[in-house]
Amino acid sequence: MSSKKVSRRDFLKLGAAVTGASAYLAACGPQATEPAAAALPDLTSGNSIPLDELIAAAKTEGELTTIALPHDWANYGEMIETFKSKYGLKVNELDPNAGSADELAAIEANKDSKGPQAPDVVDVGVGHTANAMAKGLFAKYKVAGWDSIEMKDPDGYWWAEYYGALAFEVSKPAIENSPQDWEDLLKPEYKGKVAMAGDVLKSNQSVMTVYAAGLSRAGGDKTKAAEAGLQFWKEVNDAGNFIPVIADQGTIAQGETPIVMEWDYLALANRDSLAGNPETEIVVPKTGVIAGPYAGGISAYAPHPYAARLWWEFVMSDEGQNIYLKGYAHPIRFNDMAKRGVVPEELAAKLPPAEAYANAVFLSVEELQAATTYITENWRSVVFGE
Amino acid sequence: MSIPNEKLTAQSKGDAPMARPPTKRASSVINWLPLAPFFLFATMFLFLPSISIFVGSFKDVDGGFTFDNIIALFTVRDFINAYRTSLTISAITALGGAVFGFLLAYAVVLGGLPKGLRTFMTTFSGVASNFAGVPLAFAFIATMGNNGLVTRWLESAFKFDIHAGGFTIYSITGLSIVYMYFQFPLMVLIMAPALDGLHREWSEACANLGGTSWHYWRYIAFPILIPSLLGTTILLFGNAFGAYATAYAFSGSFINLVPILIGAQMQGDVLFNPGLGNALALGMVFIMSISMIGYISLQRRAARWLQ
Repeated sequence: MSSKKVSRRDFLKLGAAVTGASAYLAACGPQATEPAAAALPDLTSGNSIPLDELIAAAKTEGELTTIALPHDWANYGEMIETFKSKYGLKVNELDPNAGSADELAAIEANKDSKGPQAPDVVDVGVGHTANAMAKGLFAKYKVAGWDSIEMKDPDGYWWAEYYGALAFEVSKPAIENSPQDWEDLLKPEYKGKVAMAGDVLKSNQSVMTVYAAGLSRAGGDKTKAAEAGLQFWKEVNDAGNFIPVIADQGTIAQGETPIVMEWDYLALANRDSLAGNPETEIVVPKTGVIAGPYAGGISAYAPHPYAARLWWEFVMSDEGQNIYLKGYAHPIRFNDMAKRGVVPEELAAKLPPAEAYANAVFLSVEELQAATTYITENWRSVVFGE
Repeated sequence: MSIPNEKLTAQSKGDAPMARPPTKRASSVINWLPLAPFFLFATMFLFLPSISIFVGSFKDVDGGFTFDNIIALFTVRDFINAYRTSLTISAITALGGAVFGFLLAYAVVLGGLPKGLRTFMTTFSGVASNFAGVPLAFAFIATMGNNGLVTRWLESAFKFDIHAGGFTIYSITGLSIVYMYFQFPLMVLIMAPALDGLHREWSEACANLGGTSWHYWRYIAFPILIPSLLGTTILLFGNAFGAYATAYAFSGSFINLVPILIGAQMQGDVLFNPGLGNALALGMVFIMSISMIGYISLQRRAARWLQ
């Protein structure tokens, strides 16, 4: 009887012994864990695990915990449903409306817990990866087809899964000739017609709008783009073409903001919900195509490490990437897939031509931060001359 | 003679307190009770936030103590400009609202117009003075914007281009017009009862003494009205000074106003320095306190006349 009943103190001792033992095992390195690794694929190298082995390992876990994946954002609803039915795993979805910072906080708070509140995988704004790396929250893993991912951490701690490109959303009844490139926005015919979808001092989207115009003007030179962008918008404003209304579906429908700069997936979704009233055209500029990517990662403390890796193998496969495309988010491997002809015709037809995205420019985390600081600090003084 | 009188007074003065204290004490708690929700709200939504703004003004991004935010208020050009623009636009719309609102209230209350018009005007003013924020901004964009209904109509019907002279609604003038929409109805609402307070007998008395209409307004009506006129003007000033949603929905940070700068520091995903936002807010609290003190002291004078 008494041997079954473990007192609280004994329990703690036992815990300490186990922790000590596992620390000892970890310290011993690969040799000590070798026997176990024979059964399950190795996680430490970060190399892609053959799919059949990965599926078998994930099935023993039986479940995946995700966070911050709204079903109407980038078509995550279909992504999750397809994943579930394809591999027969349960998906435990934590707060779909959490922000990037919340996702990282959830990993950190559940470091020592393998319970249902600990996320296995996250999808964060690229800027947040620096913070996650510094705190060691991500595990490295390189999915199959790693080389065709256009933006990633070289060691495999995070990678972009999809992106939007800044595009012009043009209201057709108001504008006869749609602008095709940034410099076109200076033409007198667009007087009082050029708007942004956010405020430069508040929205990353608008900071990138300034930067993209500058990148076009500086001939692709990233070091001069921020400065050139401010100069460009000063000219747009001086010409009377800039209209400071924060554009949304309402102002587009009403016609006050006939040319709006925003992420293409938002513009395309707008086009769908406006349903031809008014007719809109989405133009990706010829030069200065800026990509706004999201980054995926695996929690270093994931309760279901194999299911997590299987999730990313699925999401980053041609099938998963096309599911993003259905939600108008551009899959990160789009160029590679377009070259191989695996993008379905009917999906491609709803998007601006693929060539437009061929030159999309990705910014590193440092470049993004430097550009944001420069543009917000000088926006008012340069553009409005105050 | 005077001694019994004094005694009598003293006695009668003494009587009342002896009889009343018990009921007074019991009722005083009950009298104060209905105020409890107000004090609770004032504490939670006025005093605590004010304290938090004050404390937050001296914090840097990492939470340490700093004077930098306060110093920035007086040194950063954007901030100085923002206060200047905010003060200008508030002063213009407060004065404009006061003048037009007063004339309108006068016309409706004393102008001998049909009685139904007054009901209509007060109802309209009640609605309009509360019509602000995003709907108001959009209403103006849709009517007077570059592609607005009125703009288009003037163009097509009269070949009149309102932008020909360089005018654009997206300017300080434009935003002032938008603010006027809620400013002068508020003036009407507050001035109408004050104008009602002008007794008819006063103007009759003035006329009996041989005074003209000018005399009546210069020496009787205006001195009575001036405290509430000025007091309401200050209220309008504060009303415009704190407006945020309207201005933001109308033209983002294009017009450099203090509330918009605060918004950018507190909730954007680009700039983020709550301490600086708090310091900017502290500056506004300071300016508002001065105008509230002015309002209260003027209101006190007005109350004395209206008894």
